[in-house]
Amino acid sequence: MSETSQTQTRIPGEPGIWAFVTGDLLVFSLFFILIAIGNQEQTEVFSSARSTLDLRFGLANTLLLLTGSFFVAIGVERYRLNDGRDNRIWFRLAILSGVIFLINKVFEWNAKVSDGLTPMTNDFFMYFFVFTAIHAIHVFVGVVILSFLHKKSQAQFTAETQRGLESGAIFWHLVDLLWIMLFALFYLV
Amino acid sequence: MSETTSNILAQDSLSRKSLAFCGYTGYAAIILFIIGGVWLGGMLPPIPNANDAPAELVAKVNDNLLNFRIGSIFMIASFALFGTFGAGMAAQTRRFETSPVFSYVQIVFAAAGTTIALLVAFAWSLMVFRPDTYEPSILLMWADFAYFLALFSVPLFGGWCVLIALPIFFSEPGREPFPRWVAYVNLWAALLFAPGQMVIFFKDGPFSWHGIVAMYLPFIAFFAWIAIMSWVMIRIAHDENS
Repeated sequence: MSETSQTQTRIPGEPGIWAFVTGDLLVFSLFFILIAIGNQEQTEVFSSARSTLDLRFGLANTLLLLTGSFFVAIGVERYRLNDGRDNRIWFRLAILSGVIFLINKVFEWNAKVSDGLTPMTNDFFMYFFVFTAIHAIHVFVGVVILSFLHKKSQAQFTAETQRGLESGAIFWHLVDLLWIMLFALFYLV
Repeated sequence: MSETTSNILAQDSLSRKSLAFCGYTGYAAIILFIIGGVWLGGMLPPIPNANDAPAELVAKVNDNLLNFRIGSIFMIASFALFGTFGAGMAAQTRRFETSPVFSYVQIVFAAAGTTIALLVAFAWSLMVFRPDTYEPSILLMWADFAYFLALFSVPLFGGWCVLIALPIFFSEPGREPFPRWVAYVNLWAALLFAPGQMVIFFKDGPFSWHGIVAMYLPFIAFFAWIAIMSWVMIRIAHDENS
């Protein structure tokens, strides 16, 4: 298979990663529906619980993941350009953003628990803790994947490696997208 | 060397038949669970609930005693076949290894998973053995035990899926034990099992062991995974070029 040129349009990554992303989105759609139903049926509980969330944590996390996605995109693009530069820094920065996100999350959960707010407090906090925890696991897996990408990005250019980097990046962008949805549903709505 | 390993199945009809056998036992496990767990045993949908008062559970058990008992027998037959199903996948992984590593790891996880599943059926059967002699709360514990074994074991069952996916990703292209899409299906399965870990925090609602997210999703995903992997094994066994 010949190396694809920049001008040729093709779908980045490989079909499997898109299938996986679709599956993950389906599962999270179930979660979003559950939050929406809760919001509808227990509007008072949800809105008063929502007001106790610290928007600064939420915003910081959103910015961290968006920036991380930006770095990953640059890293993948630079690899494509194959101009001999060391592209690992971009993946390192993305890993850093993921790690800070996780640390931030721990602080946020800790703050809530110290205030006596736990997954058992009410349905809003049940969904909040459970879904942000499941998302945090995705962030952790994403960081692990980024560390593989970091290593791969040093390698000699091959179309196969490019697809591998793109697939990993697609997963990271999914993690970002899921957070944006959760941020909107928990902190903003 | 690559020729011999990749043609082994073409030359070895015993390996072919064995792999197909393992695949068919996966189908059998599903059918046996549908009879034992879904139709008769009251496991899915769950007749007990995590927030049942002990006396309520005793009443439910007594109302379904014979069905639950027969269901337990079908369930234990189903769960024993997880061993053959898992070993088949490990054997197929083994064919593409020079020295075994992931095939060994898969065997360990298949053995552990089969043991856990057998314990599920044991717990269920003890729940219905002498419901009026045991303290009611002990019956509740058997129900809790059964569902915790099945659902709280995400690192085991989810890990098993990841350990099927990893050797596929690590292989040279064209020399994968299973097609690449199988790796992604296994990762998705692991994801779908994951909510089961939440059952420890909740006794009601979607994350309890009778809940839609923590129970239905993992259970259905698990048997769908068995169906898909069984189909793949049977197809590989019958494919002359594999």
